[in-house]
Amino acid sequence: MAELELRRLRKRYAGGADVLHDIELSVHDGEMIVVVGPSGCGKSTLLRMVAGLETISGGELLIDGTCVNGQEPAERDIAMVFQNYALYPHMSVFDNLAYSLKNRGTPKAEIARRVEETARLLDIATLVDRKPRQLSGGQRQRVAMGRAVIREPRVFLFDEPLSNLDASLRVQMRQEIRALQQRLGITSLYVTHDQTEAMTMADRLVVMNAGRIEQIGTPMALFRKPATRFVAGFIGSPAMNFLTFATDDLPDWLTRVPADTTEPLRGELSVGIRPEHIMLTPSDAGHIEARIELVEPLGSESLVHVRPADHEARLVVRHAGTELPTAGQMTGLNVQGPFHLFDHHGQRLTTRPRLADTTCPMES
Amino acid sequence: MRYHRPGLDVLAHTLLIIGALIFMLPVILAVLASTQTPGALFSGTLPLSFGTSGLDHYLTLLSEPVRGIGVPAWRLMLNSLLMALGIAIGKLVFAILAAYALVFFRFPFRRCCFWLIFVTLMLPIEVRIVPTYGVVADLGLIDSYPGLILPLIASATATFLFRQFFLTLPPELMEAARVDGAGPWRFFIDILLPLSKTNIAALFVIMFIYGWNQYLWPLVAMSSADNATLVMSLKRLTLSTDGTPPWHLATAMTVLALLPPVVVIIIMQRWFIKGLVDTEK
Repeated sequence: MAELELRRLRKRYAGGADVLHDIELSVHDGEMIVVVGPSGCGKSTLLRMVAGLETISGGELLIDGTCVNGQEPAERDIAMVFQNYALYPHMSVFDNLAYSLKNRGTPKAEIARRVEETARLLDIATLVDRKPRQLSGGQRQRVAMGRAVIREPRVFLFDEPLSNLDASLRVQMRQEIRALQQRLGITSLYVTHDQTEAMTMADRLVVMNAGRIEQIGTPMALFRKPATRFVAGFIGSPAMNFLTFATDDLPDWLTRVPADTTEPLRGELSVGIRPEHIMLTPSDAGHIEARIELVEPLGSESLVHVRPADHEARLVVRHAGTELPTAGQMTGLNVQGPFHLFDHHGQRLTTRPRLADTTCPMES
Repeated sequence: MRYHRPGLDVLAHTLLIIGALIFMLPVILAVLASTQTPGALFSGTLPLSFGTSGLDHYLTLLSEPVRGIGVPAWRLMLNSLLMALGIAIGKLVFAILAAYALVFFRFPFRRCCFWLIFVTLMLPIEVRIVPTYGVVADLGLIDSYPGLILPLIASATATFLFRQFFLTLPPELMEAARVDGAGPWRFFIDILLPLSKTNIAALFVIMFIYGWNQYLWPLVAMSSADNATLVMSLKRLTLSTDGTPPWHLATAMTVLALLPPVVVIIIMQRWFIKGLVDTEK
């Protein structure tokens, strides 16, 4: 039970390169924050700094209002679940769970009681005598969770804990972790590169790119109103499509540059359209002419990859019909909106342009 | 891999048997010769059967001061054992601690330290024996166990092997221990040592035999008869003054010198197999 606050947190390695720039984040009591970003964006480093496994080069880290910059991981009263679980291979599940309590001088009877309780909570009560190598991936994951839960820490830290599991187990475990976290009400920081995991688990999402926070918000807010082109491309699966136009050469269907921008737009304008907002129409009947390159049937829907005739970009269209288009054919694309506009810096334009032939809802 | 070719099996076994015989022949001859009477050994041919003396020579060696050496063989064995254990345990303790520091801690000149240790691999005891003797003599440790053992107690090989093993452990293990409230010593004792069990057993065998077989340094460092080791005394036994070396005693003592390393290997072998069967990684 704690509040976590990151104030202008910075990380610089001895070589001189800054890997994290002025990270500002405050996590409320009991909240699940998921930090998501491509590999190398600094999200794991951030987590390790909160854990106390990496030194903090600048800024302040506060847990419940106390600066913990100089404290050892154990003093911060945090618990961490590692990507490879890092279970002690020579210890039984019982000893793995009990180790942190033992190091804190907890009485034996108390340890036994809490191990039993935790094992029951995580459904591993029958496994306590086994060694980690005798467990399946999912069971190991549970033991790793148990090791974090048992101490009743102030903050939970998760470092891509599900990436070593197979797909179906991953779905199951992410639901369990979320349920457990909500039940125990422990403030959590969860790092992942998987946007589905991020969307489904987070109270609030933090999208990171190149050592900076791009946007913080609820999953749906980020999905509906991405602040930058990067966030727009990262959140949502399949990813958002982008078409780039020179501002003085906009197509008919995108008639007007945002009317109430004070300065005239220069350079390039990116239009982001989600795959579900493009419709296939007969050739010559849509806004854009394109050639179908690849069709991926998924059952209830299909993903159709198309290449517009006059664009470099490749677009993905979510096609709901059961009748599959054939690759190689020409097709028309009807752009439906809502769509997202980004200037040449990748910043969102919040103004409202109008489509040529339809009045479609535009998120603003 | 297994091929179903009977001919191949026969060939493989023939080669193995020939190889085993080549290695075992000197040992067999020594055992046979140690049971012969002195007269039988000087008849010109080496008998290929057990002699009439039985274990007499062994009893003589163990109970009476050996001619030309001055103490009974049990004393020599005890000295050798102390030296070998001292060297083996010392090497393990130093090597595992040094490797722990090199792998898990960040300190200035860490790489430099590693390379300094690594470079000493190139300097066997024989190369540095004169300065070593000088240092040990200055410390007043000549003809004492500390003087015998200390110069041999650091091992670059063992440090290197432990380092390689530690590098295969996931670094998250130490981080998990840190989060769990284990300090550096707790981590070392609770996690690193148990995981290194099989490596320790293997290196102990190698280092024990290395220590047991030391010849030159004990010869230089241990001058009094009471402190002589078994291996260095073997040579002294064959240099007896009256012309004919007592081969019956020399071969018996050779067999005695073989026994402790064999015992160590047999005991430690169980550990190896245990380590091979349940790999805990």
